[in-house]
Amino acid sequence: MTETSDLLKFGINVAQDEKINEILAQRTKGKGYQIRFSNSMIDNSKIWSNDNIELFLAKGKKSTYLEIEAPTQAKIRSRIKDASKFLERLPESFLYNGMESNQHKYEKLDGIYDPKILDFSDKAPELVNAAIQTSLESGAKKVAGVLYFGYSKTELSTSYGNEGSFLGSYYRFTIRSFVDPDSSGQGLACSRSLSGVESEFLKAGNNAGEIAKMANGGTQGSPGKYDVLMSPTVAANVLGQVFDGLNPIKIMVGMSPLKYEHIGKQIASEEFTVTDNALLAEGLGSRPFDVEGTPKGKTPIFSEGILKGLLQNTSTSKMDKVENSGNSTFFDFGIGSKFLAPGPSNIAINGGDYTLEEIIAESKKPTIYITSNWYTRFTNMTEGIFSTIPRDGMFLIENGEIKEPVRRLRLSDNLLRICSNISAIGKNVKQIYWWEVQTPTFTPTIKVKDCTITAATQ
Amino acid sequence: MKNGKDLADFAIDYGASRGASYIEARVVASRNESYAARNGVILGGGITYSNGIAIRVLANGGMGFCSTASLTKTGIENGIEEAIKLAKASKRKIPITFSEEEVVQTKWKSPVKIKFEEISIEEKQNFLIDLDKVLNKEFRFKLPTRTLLLDLYSDQKYIVTNEGSKVESENSIISAHTFNTAKGKAGGEQRMLSLGGTGGWEWIEEENVVERILEDNISLVKAARNAIEKDINQIDVVVSGEVAGIMAHENVGHPSEADRILGREGAQAGESFYIDLLENERLGEIKMGSEQVTIIDDPTQKGNSGFYLYDDECVKARPRYLIKNGMLNELFLNREYASRYNTQSNAAARAVAYTREPIIRMANTYFAPGDFTFEELIDDVKQGIYMKSFTEWNIDDRRFQSKYVGLEVYLIENGEVTDTMIRRPVLELTTYGILGSVDGVSKDFSSPHGYCGKGEPQQAAPVWLGGPHVRLKNIKLGGGNK
Repeated sequence: MTETSDLLKFGINVAQDEKINEILAQRTKGKGYQIRFSNSMIDNSKIWSNDNIELFLAKGKKSTYLEIEAPTQAKIRSRIKDASKFLERLPESFLYNGMESNQHKYEKLDGIYDPKILDFSDKAPELVNAAIQTSLESGAKKVAGVLYFGYSKTELSTSYGNEGSFLGSYYRFTIRSFVDPDSSGQGLACSRSLSGVESEFLKAGNNAGEIAKMANGGTQGSPGKYDVLMSPTVAANVLGQVFDGLNPIKIMVGMSPLKYEHIGKQIASEEFTVTDNALLAEGLGSRPFDVEGTPKGKTPIFSEGILKGLLQNTSTSKMDKVENSGNSTFFDFGIGSKFLAPGPSNIAINGGDYTLEEIIAESKKPTIYITSNWYTRFTNMTEGIFSTIPRDGMFLIENGEIKEPVRRLRLSDNLLRICSNISAIGKNVKQIYWWEVQTPTFTPTIKVKDCTITAATQ
Repeated sequence: MKNGKDLADFAIDYGASRGASYIEARVVASRNESYAARNGVILGGGITYSNGIAIRVLANGGMGFCSTASLTKTGIENGIEEAIKLAKASKRKIPITFSEEEVVQTKWKSPVKIKFEEISIEEKQNFLIDLDKVLNKEFRFKLPTRTLLLDLYSDQKYIVTNEGSKVESENSIISAHTFNTAKGKAGGEQRMLSLGGTGGWEWIEEENVVERILEDNISLVKAARNAIEKDINQIDVVVSGEVAGIMAHENVGHPSEADRILGREGAQAGESFYIDLLENERLGEIKMGSEQVTIIDDPTQKGNSGFYLYDDECVKARPRYLIKNGMLNELFLNREYASRYNTQSNAAARAVAYTREPIIRMANTYFAPGDFTFEELIDDVKQGIYMKSFTEWNIDDRRFQSKYVGLEVYLIENGEVTDTMIRRPVLELTTYGILGSVDGVSKDFSSPHGYCGKGEPQQAAPVWLGGPHVRLKNIKLGGGNK
């Protein structure tokens, strides 16, 4: 037995002694690093030593969540005893309908851990400085960005006897290059594996510099109706708002543009096929089991534009009377206590038939090509009414060619309309994860017709 | 906390002995109790404790940071060794330096009458359940989806530096949030309301929280049922303290952060359009808006959600006058950026947890009140709108081009606020477009609670963002996104 499984079993025993009948205990132990840089120099290098146990405790329909940092037997005993008293005084929740009770064995997931990560901190600063240099050589005047990397072991034990563990490693690299304060470009790279990391950094640095150069000399764009070409970075953020809404709890509280009546209906263009896939080797969200111990797999979301279903865990699948998709997560509303609710693993949008160059060449109508965006907010989440702000290089395409860089525009539209107006999907699929995209999303470039572009009036 | 303090003192000695030119240790023990309810049913509740240490070092001109909850000497030694090694490996061409600041040894705490632990769990849950009953009784089917959240946060902190500063603090922040959907003729309206401040459980009663939430939902339901589409173009706009506050925060507060101006947030929250302004002109000489515009950030104002008396670099807090009578006056500075500007820090360094580095943050940013009464502001308006609350908002990453969509909005005609409600008017304006059009500011004042997002990893810092009523003259409304 490992030290961890001993601690998890100890926690389950303590909780069972407290007459708590359903228990999830998950320990995550590892190390995370960050190298932040700006003005073409490293600003700060951080190391996080992480070791925590998350516990979900349920007694009938009463449930609570707690997290114990740097766990010891004494801490675990004392916190569970406190939580047990707390739980007694909580009312029952209709949302909690049990956890995974079937016993499972989990297959090893290949490709999600690269042992080279253990020594990566020795050469990471040098690689970051090399990527900065590449971006400067490709035309940038200054470069900013961040590199995250790290590893962890996750172990799960449940009161139903499910036990599993996996090792994971990751890196996430963002580089933003500036030719001048208004002309910038961004490059991203992320993976579970360090194979080819050096060239990925250089490629990201070079891309960022190239976009920044192309953005140089941009002028105020004109508001109006345009087709919009979303880079993978933008598609992951904008369409990610739809995927976040695949959670039945979010639908219930009005935080999703999706509705139950959409299931089985065509609400997106025929080209649009999407899966939640937890088994992708490179996927930053890949794992063999969810936090309840349900084996994870592939869940169809959109098939040729038809919404196939929502993401589910044990409780929501019982409420919705559908199959559990194994997507249980510790969820919160951004504020407040966590509870069990479904969440995406890796979102994978199927690639289409066109290269970026072909999509541009086929864009005869005025089209705005947005390479990055931020600050997506809603007027009404159930209606899907939102706007988001392009940043970095943005270009006007006319008659099949990039005509000029444009600036200071806003994509102000409706998520459901965007889904149904997808008009072309690129071939090359890229994994996106950065500041504005917190669900790993494999996506190509996506073109959407007839979007509303607005600008400041004064 | 005693063990944590001893370890923080140990970390300082150890870091200095290992070649750090600057070392600071921050121990934070926090407690977060929270509840969520949907339509009167508690969805979940829990109490989370966190206790750990953050250490920041400067070595060979580079900066390193480590944090751990494992409060042992060995863990701290290893963390410091690695932080120093990485700081040195950064090989900066320009070394990071900190401004010289007064060495302080002091304590502060936010005033609390009733600690959260003194109130029973049932009473806390009942607050949400009873609040929902009030809303359900008042609105029934008109407000079909109600999500209510209660968040009770408290912490104890000890910060020590190798320069000799030691600051101990105790803080307590309470906040209530609603995310509700009202049904109306044209669909529905949604509203996220956040109320909060530093204090204890007494805040609920002293701040009339139930009444304020009820009032806010009356507005939400009214907007959903009564607001109409109206083609209005060039008009005067009077905004409430809530809308003025978000403008002060987004259009003035963020671009005033020196780390943005000098590029440190370039790949995340972005830079600042001030970078262009400060290239050729100096603070005090740059006109940002009309003379009526004065914007202040004051962490020391009692009760504000961003309250502190010393920042996370042990610098004494004071009000920052960002814009004074229309002129750019002051930036937010921490010790690193004060050094870059060859001046003193104005105590803007905050970290939201022991796992985060202190960075430049706002605390309590507001439009300063003026001389008008609300009635006087309205009196002069022939045709306009009164925007009392907003829903969607965003701003570009240089903080120049912003958007605010109105929620509770009334038509003003011939000097009177009418009963006609306008549906979702859009203010899509540049920062100059806003500040340059201000021609009247009222005497009254309100300050909603909010969370300011910045940094990487994200640090959602509790803040107030408020102001009086502000009149913007001759505004062209923007395009919608129906």
